[in-house]
Amino acid sequence: MKMKLSFFILALGAMVAGCYPDNVDYYDEFDVALTHYQDDYDFQAQGTYAMPDRIVKITGNKIEGDDPEYVPDVVATALLGMIAENMSNLGWQRVDIDEDPDMLLAPAAWETTTISWWYDYWWWWWGSYYPPGWGGCCWGGWYPPVYVSSYTTGTLVMTLIDSDLESASGRPISQWTGAISGLMSGAYNADRARRAIDQAFAQSPYLETN
Amino acid sequence: MKKILLIIFSFSCINTFAQDNIINFQYSIGFGTGDLGDFIENPSFRGFVFDYRRLTENNIAIGVEVGWNVFYDELNYDTYTKDNLTITGKQWRYNNQVPLLVAADYIFSTEEKLKPFAGLGVGTMFSRRNTNMNVYTIEEEAWSFALRPELGVVYDISFNTGISATAKYYVGFESGDLPTQSYLSLNFGILYLLY
Repeated sequence: MKMKLSFFILALGAMVAGCYPDNVDYYDEFDVALTHYQDDYDFQAQGTYAMPDRIVKITGNKIEGDDPEYVPDVVATALLGMIAENMSNLGWQRVDIDEDPDMLLAPAAWETTTISWWYDYWWWWWGSYYPPGWGGCCWGGWYPPVYVSSYTTGTLVMTLIDSDLESASGRPISQWTGAISGLMSGAYNADRARRAIDQAFAQSPYLETN
Repeated sequence: MKKILLIIFSFSCINTFAQDNIINFQYSIGFGTGDLGDFIENPSFRGFVFDYRRLTENNIAIGVEVGWNVFYDELNYDTYTKDNLTITGKQWRYNNQVPLLVAADYIFSTEEKLKPFAGLGVGTMFSRRNTNMNVYTIEEEAWSFALRPELGVVYDISFNTGISATAKYYVGFESGDLPTQSYLSLNFGILYLLY
């Protein structure tokens, strides 16, 4: 009887572990466009924004004092071009950081990884990758209700910040966040990137200023 | 001779419910109802129930029950909005239900090979709901007070083995992150007597 019991318990365990449904079959099934905005912010009253020419790459070393890394120029230029095109279509004018823009658009990217402290670490600190005048040291205002596990996938995050506003704790507030995930899973694919970036702006009609 | 007769008589009287302790391993198919059915329409073909009962007098069996069902669905690439958060992509939905109950059954007949019974379980049910998109998961959990009425039949296939078919309806009342979770399960099992 004990043998039979052991067999059934083992079979039961195998059934539970083996039959649990999996999900992703193809890279492009990873593609996700996520957007969030502050509903009390008047985007229509704004019109200009500044954006850097490079996309900083979150590598995990900056917090320990290492120099920042950047997305390769050929890829960054293409992605920034898509972002600028969408912003232009919504009526925004891109200006230099010295021209007192209404908002700052700060992009950041990472290729992988085990960012388990998403909101209490990276979410606050990637702002420090950008020089002073780019929104100070920190970034925050909204904690996404998500967890991040260790899949290999790329994420591009775009944040629109009004540098005149800050939270009660003195941190800049992201008025709009667009997160595009899946861009760097597999080889870089411009069509997938465009689809995802276009989608992020298409599902954010409140950004339109004209 | 007297001892031999006694042994023969004892075996002739044994049937599945003539023993004190009964265990039942069951394969379970679940059908979500209410909020759970709205979240995932597909039935769950992944599940099990383990029942233990001790037969008392008056055709009543009392014991415990542990089970698991996972409901799963895959939604097409689409846009999903909640408040001021919008996500576009493919969506994978999971709902795990784990009831942990004390249970009592009334067996309508212990003398026949086919034994219908009705039961009620009371306890708790753990629910975990995941909405996955890319590497993101929105996870909602609840430990809820649970009730579970049940109807079933057992058929004796040998002196210490039987097979069962049961219908159980689980209701885990609103708790934690989730509203009331309920599902109907059809279960097919093998019973053993423990000595």
